Amino acid sequence: MSQYAAELCALLIEDQFGELFARIFTTLQRYERLPLPRLKFYSRLTDRQLHHGLVAMIQHHLVYHFTSLEDGNTYYAANPQAAYYLVRSGKIIQLVESRLGEYAARVMETILYLGHAPITHLETLPDLRYLKSETTNGVVKDEEQEEQQVEEQEEEAQDFDQQAEEETNGTNGNHAEEVHQKPAPLHSTLKALASHGYILRVKDAHFQSPEDNYIEAHKAASNRSDIKLLKGKRLTEELLLKTEEILRERTDGDLSEAWMVNGMPRGVKRKFANGTSESASKWPQTDQNGANGNHADEDEENDWSEDEDGFDNIPMEPGLVLRVNYEKLDVALRNARFVEMAEHNALPATAEVYETLLRRIEYVTKRCRDTTEIPREGEEGEQFSLPIETYKIVNDVDPTLDLSSCMGPLHPASEPLNRRGKRPLENGVNGDHHDDEEDNADNEISRAYEINQHLQLLEQAPHNLASHVRLSDGIKWRVGFRGLARKLRHLELERLVEMRYGDVALRVLRVLHAKGKLDEKRLQEISLLPFKDLRQTLASMQTGGFVDLQEVPKDAQRQPSKTIFLWYFDPDRVCSSVLEDTYKAMSRTLQRIKFERNLRRDFLDKTERSDVKGNEEKWLSEGELEQLQRWRDMEAILLGVVSRLDDMVAVFRDF
Amino acid sequence: MASRVTEVASRLYDACLERFEADHLFYQQDLLALDVIPKGEIDLLLKCAQSLVDQKLFRLHQGANNRLAWKIISRDDAEKLQNLSPDESLVYNVIHSSGRSGVWVRTIQSRTNLHKSILDRCVKSLESKNYIKSIHNVKYPTRKMYMLAGLAPSEDITGGAWFTDGVLDANFINSVAGYIEFKVSLRSWYEVPAADRGRGKRIKTATGMAEVKSESEKTYLPYPANYSGYPTVETITSEVNQSGITPVRLPEERVIELLKMLCFDKKLVALNNGGNYKSLKKPDEVKASQSRKPAAEESAGSPILGLGKNGMTESPCGSCPNIRLCSPGAAISPETCEYFDPWYEKVLGF
Repeated sequence: MSQYAAELCALLIEDQFGELFARIFTTLQRYERLPLPRLKFYSRLTDRQLHHGLVAMIQHHLVYHFTSLEDGNTYYAANPQAAYYLVRSGKIIQLVESRLGEYAARVMETILYLGHAPITHLETLPDLRYLKSETTNGVVKDEEQEEQQVEEQEEEAQDFDQQAEEETNGTNGNHAEEVHQKPAPLHSTLKALASHGYILRVKDAHFQSPEDNYIEAHKAASNRSDIKLLKGKRLTEELLLKTEEILRERTDGDLSEAWMVNGMPRGVKRKFANGTSESASKWPQTDQNGANGNHADEDEENDWSEDEDGFDNIPMEPGLVLRVNYEKLDVALRNARFVEMAEHNALPATAEVYETLLRRIEYVTKRCRDTTEIPREGEEGEQFSLPIETYKIVNDVDPTLDLSSCMGPLHPASEPLNRRGKRPLENGVNGDHHDDEEDNADNEISRAYEINQHLQLLEQAPHNLASHVRLSDGIKWRVGFRGLARKLRHLELERLVEMRYGDVALRVLRVLHAKGKLDEKRLQEISLLPFKDLRQTLASMQTGGFVDLQEVPKDAQRQPSKTIFLWYFDPDRVCSSVLEDTYKAMSRTLQRIKFERNLRRDFLDKTERSDVKGNEEKWLSEGELEQLQRWRDMEAILLGVVSRLDDMVAVFRDF
Repeated sequence: MASRVTEVASRLYDACLERFEADHLFYQQDLLALDVIPKGEIDLLLKCAQSLVDQKLFRLHQGANNRLAWKIISRDDAEKLQNLSPDESLVYNVIHSSGRSGVWVRTIQSRTNLHKSILDRCVKSLESKNYIKSIHNVKYPTRKMYMLAGLAPSEDITGGAWFTDGVLDANFINSVAGYIEFKVSLRSWYEVPAADRGRGKRIKTATGMAEVKSESEKTYLPYPANYSGYPTVETITSEVNQSGITPVRLPEERVIELLKMLCFDKKLVALNNGGNYKSLKKPDEVKASQSRKPAAEESAGSPILGLGKNGMTESPCGSCPNIRLCSPGAAISPETCEYFDPWYEKVLGF
């Protein structure tokens, strides 16, 4: 844990939960594992404060605790990962909202807000009871905030919107009760979230640090009778395997498989309005049916919610305790970045096809990578996703999406132009009505062909966003995660270099990355830059820490005239230093917010008074309202920057 | 006797002039085979050859197996050489022997064993007579080098087509690169014919996924992945040479160098292991980015970033030169930071 990351985590906790939590957290970060008496000594808190704080922090997974069987002591340790993810909660809620709708986002927000929660508790929460419950939402939130002694407002940009929402609702609050309140499908929403893998079951091991879990699992493994019989190399190998197995068993709270319906999570918002394609529950049959296509009509009426009504009546186990699965959410966020990359240099239709592929892949990908650290560049093997069959993508892609008219012809010279002109027309006809069976089958085949074309385009250089596997039963598509994650990292670095040193530097950097270590002369020959520019660029990049110089002396005297100087670019080193800078920039921005808030303390205290809050227009003068608006804009923009910086942290650390 | 030698020598010279080319290296038996020397008198041949060498009509060489050999010098050149002082002619010979690659002054000095001041004087006088010229070596820009005035320096010295007067000609490179990018771009994207465009547009707007384009704008579409019509190195080379933007013919290797550079710029991308090249930008985008003046960009204050932005490029901390020194409570701190206020103004407009 670096200095700035620790600083950032402490700031985030202070921002979100107040000073008590921050005090405990920083103490634990500074001294690492501590038993209660030592923690009390170092943090100088009273017993009461400490107990309350620790319990609440454990609830939020901010603190790990571990009771040793040997000495009976309980040790506490900080959980910097959970602390850092506080900054990502806004993004997570937004993602869930876009995938599963507003209510699911609200459920997610509540779970995030509570750290972890049993389903029985969620059932009792008034603001999850109804689909449209804006007023109760606001009020309950406030009450809870008081209960939890949370002084600060929630900080995410999304919460801003919500805050705004609350305000508007505050004014017409009496109106809301008349709004017809539909009982909310809490259980089916939870099942949808669970089947997407966004939430998971809390297990005892989640409260202990990964290291403790590993040691415990190791102990348990070595105490097994079958392991004890082994010796030497076999023993170590087997022990490692068993440890991993036990560890997985203890920490894996994945719920997605239990609630998936034939490989598709529930509650997927489908893009088709008319339901022309097979429903999710019929996937296994499409192999045969795709060919003769007589299937489509029967399924036309199927909608997921109706389909699953039967399941919905079975509630989820009430004793189940849920928490947010950050690992899985990182996969979804990473896929969003991949789509962004595709959008940047491909047509919208192609990007949409790609997004559909990635969505499919997301369902079967549990985490971003298997190793805890990002391996060194060059030592990193490729890790492919599970391949996805084209027909699945065909069924998932919006049938109204025009795939054919956005690609040029294969042989422009040999093919007469009117032939090309006809193609989109033909398809437009086919795409609109599907009453004819044969037409439908034809259409599916041609769409599969078109989708393959689009994905092939993405497979080609320079995108390399997907790759195909050719099997006997057709083409499957997969994604090489490590290569793409590396590409994202380089993209972020290159953006930074372009901003700081210009496009000349970009070329030099790419040459160095492609060719390895080079002396100035060779570098010039490849990059075709005048010496003067080249030297200036290299020097300024060296000061910035992006490139380095290696000396190779020809003799023992190490005279400069008899020394070869080689320039090189070490992406691992640069990435880690940029990551540190990013942490630092985030914590400085948060500190700046604190400072700006202090500047306006008196004014903001007034706006947060319980009688003024919600009735700003009534109690504040025009100038004050304007000042409030400016402050809110400013805070929003600063928080926006923090969230953008978090995107970079995700690329450099999590993907 | 002396007159006989002169006469035979002059006949020998004429015969050589007739039989051998200017650069031909000939040996004793070659001269005897000319049938100019009566009865093959070795003694006479020696004298004749010596006299011709003295008159600078022959140049002495050391041929294979350390045998003596000669080369012929034209009468005009010989006249020039005869006017030189012995030191000068020594220097001239050294420079002459280096041919098109030129020779470093220090090398002349070590070969001739002349004193530096004498050498300087010789070089100066030769230069003033326009017999030799000073050249610029790309590999050793600090070395003073000379070669005969009538020769064009070889590519090793000039560094090839990209160099003008020993300096990399960035303007020339950029103009050729821009030309190539545009040409490749034209052939990497399918231009929807005008008649077809109306229909394509209607379909697109019907699905609501593309914005309405004005009629004058051209629509470019990508080719399918297995399209094979992307330009090759040969076609690009011939196109560049026909375009007339280069004063000299560019060989293929030079064009490949340039294409690789464009690949590093992520303007082009090599397909099929460098067999074909494809442009990443559409022709209209290429045109737009080339017509943009870099100076105007700078004056606008924000360079256009081709790669887009991220958190670090947007945040004031990302471009802060003193981020390493920044810490709360120090001289440079988030509280006293002077970058935030202008940044709010820029972003929020107040």
